[in-house]
Amino acid sequence: MSEVAKAQVVEESSAAVSKVAVLQQRAGAGVQAESPLHHVGLDHLALNVHQRGGVALREKKLLGHLVLRGNSANASLLKGIKKVLGVELPLAPLSCSAKGTTSIQWMGPDEWLILVEGGSEYGIELALREAIDGHISLVNVSGGQTVLELSGPDARKVLQKSTPYDVHPGSFPVGKCVSTVFAKTQVLLQRTGEDSYEMVVRRSFSDYMWLWLQDASAEYGLVIKA
Amino acid sequence: MSTVSSKKSASRKVAQSNRLTRGGRINRNKPLKFSYNGKTYEGFEGDTLASALLANGVDIIGRSFKYSRPRGIFAAGAEEPNAIMQLGATEATQIPNVRATQQELFDGLVSNSVNGWPNADTDLMSYIGKAGGKMMPPGFYYKTFMYPESMWMTYEKYIRKAAGLGRAPAEWDPDTYDKMNHHCDVLVVGAGPAGLMAALTAARAGARVIIADEQQEFGGSLLHSADTIGGLPAAEWVKGIVTELQRYEDVLLLSRATVNGYHDHNFLTIHERRTDHLTDRAPLNMSRQRMHKVRAEWVILATGAHERPLVYANNDVPGNMLASAVSTYIRRYGVVPGNKLVLMTTNDDAYQTALDWKLAGRDVVAIVDTRANPTGALIEEARKLGIRLIPGSAVIDVEGGKRVHGAVCCSIDATGSKVTSGKEVLTCDTIASSGGWSPVVHLSCHTGSRPVWNDEIIGFVPGAAKEQRLCAGAVHGVYGLGKVLEDGVNAAQQAVAALKLNQPEVELPSTFEPVKSPAMALFYVPHVKPVSRAPKQFVDLQNDVTAGGIALATREGFESIEHVKRYTAMGFGTDQGKLGNINGMAIAAMTMGKTIAETGTTIFRPNYTPVTFGAVAGRDAGHLFDVKRFTAMHKWHVEQGAEFEDVGQWKRPWYYPKAGESMHDAVNRESKAVRDSVGILDASTLGKIDIQGPGAREFLNRIYTNAWAKLDVGKCRYGLMCHEDGMVFDDGVTSCLGDNHFLMTTTTGGAAGVMEWLELWHQTEWPELEVYFTSVTDHWSTLTISGPNSRKLLAELTSDIDLDKDTFKFMDWRAGTVAGVPARVFRISFTGELSYEINVQANYGLHVWEKLFEHGAKYNLTPYGTETMHVLRAEKGFIIVGQDTDGSVTPFDLNMGWAVGKNKPFSFLGQRGMQREDCVRDNRKQLVGLKCSDSSVVLPEGAQLVDNPKHPVPVPMLGHVTSSYYSPNLGHGVAMALIKGGLSRMGDKVYAPLRDGRVIEAEICSSVFLDPKGERQNV
Repeated sequence: MSEVAKAQVVEESSAAVSKVAVLQQRAGAGVQAESPLHHVGLDHLALNVHQRGGVALREKKLLGHLVLRGNSANASLLKGIKKVLGVELPLAPLSCSAKGTTSIQWMGPDEWLILVEGGSEYGIELALREAIDGHISLVNVSGGQTVLELSGPDARKVLQKSTPYDVHPGSFPVGKCVSTVFAKTQVLLQRTGEDSYEMVVRRSFSDYMWLWLQDASAEYGLVIKA
Repeated sequence: MSTVSSKKSASRKVAQSNRLTRGGRINRNKPLKFSYNGKTYEGFEGDTLASALLANGVDIIGRSFKYSRPRGIFAAGAEEPNAIMQLGATEATQIPNVRATQQELFDGLVSNSVNGWPNADTDLMSYIGKAGGKMMPPGFYYKTFMYPESMWMTYEKYIRKAAGLGRAPAEWDPDTYDKMNHHCDVLVVGAGPAGLMAALTAARAGARVIIADEQQEFGGSLLHSADTIGGLPAAEWVKGIVTELQRYEDVLLLSRATVNGYHDHNFLTIHERRTDHLTDRAPLNMSRQRMHKVRAEWVILATGAHERPLVYANNDVPGNMLASAVSTYIRRYGVVPGNKLVLMTTNDDAYQTALDWKLAGRDVVAIVDTRANPTGALIEEARKLGIRLIPGSAVIDVEGGKRVHGAVCCSIDATGSKVTSGKEVLTCDTIASSGGWSPVVHLSCHTGSRPVWNDEIIGFVPGAAKEQRLCAGAVHGVYGLGKVLEDGVNAAQQAVAALKLNQPEVELPSTFEPVKSPAMALFYVPHVKPVSRAPKQFVDLQNDVTAGGIALATREGFESIEHVKRYTAMGFGTDQGKLGNINGMAIAAMTMGKTIAETGTTIFRPNYTPVTFGAVAGRDAGHLFDVKRFTAMHKWHVEQGAEFEDVGQWKRPWYYPKAGESMHDAVNRESKAVRDSVGILDASTLGKIDIQGPGAREFLNRIYTNAWAKLDVGKCRYGLMCHEDGMVFDDGVTSCLGDNHFLMTTTTGGAAGVMEWLELWHQTEWPELEVYFTSVTDHWSTLTISGPNSRKLLAELTSDIDLDKDTFKFMDWRAGTVAGVPARVFRISFTGELSYEINVQANYGLHVWEKLFEHGAKYNLTPYGTETMHVLRAEKGFIIVGQDTDGSVTPFDLNMGWAVGKNKPFSFLGQRGMQREDCVRDNRKQLVGLKCSDSSVVLPEGAQLVDNPKHPVPVPMLGHVTSSYYSPNLGHGVAMALIKGGLSRMGDKVYAPLRDGRVIEAEICSSVFLDPKGERQNV
């Protein structure tokens, strides 16, 4: 079925769905997807190289990434999100809400990043479009970015080397997320635990991030986790 | 005379003749070897390079900047003007501009003096200095070497070599340097008594505190103080405070860390030397130096004061030193830098130096006090020790060349303005002088706050704060240990209150305050001769500025202190006027008959002391210098041996040379392969923006020059984007994915700018349009197959896209599966050939790319890079924004009026701009093709074009070549050019006169060289 036809099917299924083309983008079995840091071989490093140190890095790869834009005054948006994802749309600046493998991070007054289990993003997008009335935008960006988890007792120092944002616990409590400068690139940075952080990194910048993080962690020792 | 014990020690070890057997904060059980100017010496752990050199009796550590006079160590800290060293055991680890007084000694340290050729002891240049002193007054460089102007660069080279303050390493620095960001409630600058009390108070209040000090240990002046605090020796008290501060999680203590810059918004830079005290090269995985970038809520300056030397004749001869520096060397390092001391002072504080010298067992020849009737506790103590006191007098001149031999002492009048008696020569080898204290107001000045003169403390203090800045202690003229401690608490309490924290309990420790008599304000010691005739009386030792020079400057009409500074070089460079500025300003004021307050002061600039380039660069160097952006297929390109081109931060394959191929060969091969069969380009770097919403179509109408109302779902259209001025700034193809859904592509370099442009217009001008933009540049991999066989190739990899030429037409797009991966395929072309741009989620980009090659071999599928892309598009006359345009070119100038919608209901960006009078005149530069008369010639890009190359200069210019390549498909060069009125000059000959003398003749033609009817892309 051509995608044009697909879009029409979707449209016919509900008057609420706007006239957009939604494409199931995952390939079937037999085609290996390569995350932005695939070429680095993190799994190999994690399993085969003896490592010790105060900073740990893990790529949470191939998740479903959806960028949502909409008006938070639209009650249907809040309701639809809650209904489909089971979490509230975070309205407070720099906040996030999460449940299980689903999370929503605030990126701006009308912009959020929805992270879901890899492979579920197509169905979720359709369901959200079905559930929400009014003008929104949902864009699948799963191929364009990846999530890096940085943890360990020295992780904060690595962040301090990299971003001018104040990552002291007093200013950056668990659950807070910010879009900020990171070395010479930018990340969506979230504090996920006492000593752990997640960064959403754009694909084309991920190799630079990898080089930077290795360098900044060198004095503390870097452990790659699978 | 020297004690027996120190003499014995000297004779036994030979070296370290000035080292005491006891005392100081050095570890005599840890001897360290170091070299200075090729000779090996020994010092101890805890020494600075300066204290170790003095311990070894090294008098001369360099030659002066301008007059090449021998100079010795003068101070003990950051204010040292003379002992500027070149460090480094290897070429790669060379560091210039290090003050010996700030460099901790380590085993194997290699140092050299920076001034003095062939060496510091016998300097050939000094003959000029000595014989020609009068030949080099201030302004000498300007007066003598400026003419003829063309020779200035030549002169400068030799002057720099002759002067010089060290040199940069000629090899790659093997060490790394890094940066760290901090935020805090209170940054305390300086860990002397005021700073420690301030930090302690803020820390106890629970504030986030950073306290930084340039020295290896906290304590500041307390490290060499004879004082007791709370019944403890000062240094012991410091230990207790530091131990408490270390207990707080939110207190960061930075030693060996100089707060070098105080910038806007309470942003300060701290230069920490992490390993400079350990080895020549930093240990593995440790940065040598770190730049701390601090954003502070409140800043407390507790930078203390520098002692002010006195200005007298020949006060630069080695053996002349600051009084407090002499005390520091004795008490902190166990080094007495001479045998016979004459102390000259205007105040009570300096008496401590004579006491320390005497207690070290060496001879104090006399204390020369400029005050007629000095009284006070320290003075009594000196008398008790039997030290000769000469009141109402001054040392007006010095005897000696490479070391002081004698001090010429005369009595002076009560105001210190003239000599009143004949001289007595005091035989000595050391003259310590003290003119009082100058608060270290440098950092406050960095914020633009002008210092204010304070008669009471005889010094400048920081002006009104421009930031949330407080001062504590001597930096704003609070002297006396007890008062200083209290002042530190007060400053912190103000910050604590402003931060709305609870005031903590802080007890002030007891101190002993000796009774002191007032100091005398004396900035210039009179000589029997007037200023202009007296022997050199140095004000700024580093820049060789004398009292006579300053007087000359004011005589020549330089009355503003800023002009005096620039004319004489006083306070220039790395010195930043730490010792000399106040005396210099006072002398300028004196010669002009003004007060110091009226004369004012110059402003000190960042950095406070020199910072290495490494620390400024941090890790933004080498492979981390800038971001390198890669596509999902990058690994494949590397493995195929591609050469890469930088496009913005992207690394794009430029061409793929096979073994033995030149770039020209490779590009010719790639270009032909596309036109003959099929080629493939990684076009993933093109900017891609997903646009959704019912207002999307109207938004496109306004942002692009052409019309979008009737573009059907499944169709693509090329568009030009202009700024308000009507000038083209980006182009690309936008496809209609759904009625309310478009995918815009932009140029690779313009992607971010276009995204901002869309948001700007949506957010500020047309918020009523319901539309959202999301960047999907990184999300989609774009694989462009182009050439007559591209359909056949694609057909092998898809079963669900109907590729029939009549159903999937040029400028259509379809969704389906390619190589097992869901894809959108766009039939658009930048080569003029049958082309398909395959978009798949980037996680599958490499998979599809490799599958295409598996099937492409039989079609000779050839990867091509950006160079071939350029050749192919130039054959077709397709523009590249930014190459064929430069921000001054309208769509009509590009002969692309067809891309401007004339009947759009709402205006579009650029419409009015391109209708301006100047934009519609006939002879604007217009884009045309150029064909050389000699078909073997390829015009250089950028070549200027004229009608008549024989026209006398200036030749009227027609325009220039914007794009030019050799076309292997046509067998001749193809070029595009912007030429005045070019579109109406088809067939005319123009000429490109080149630098090498050649003149190339070319004919103006259509810019479409190949397939003018566009048939190849429609097959």
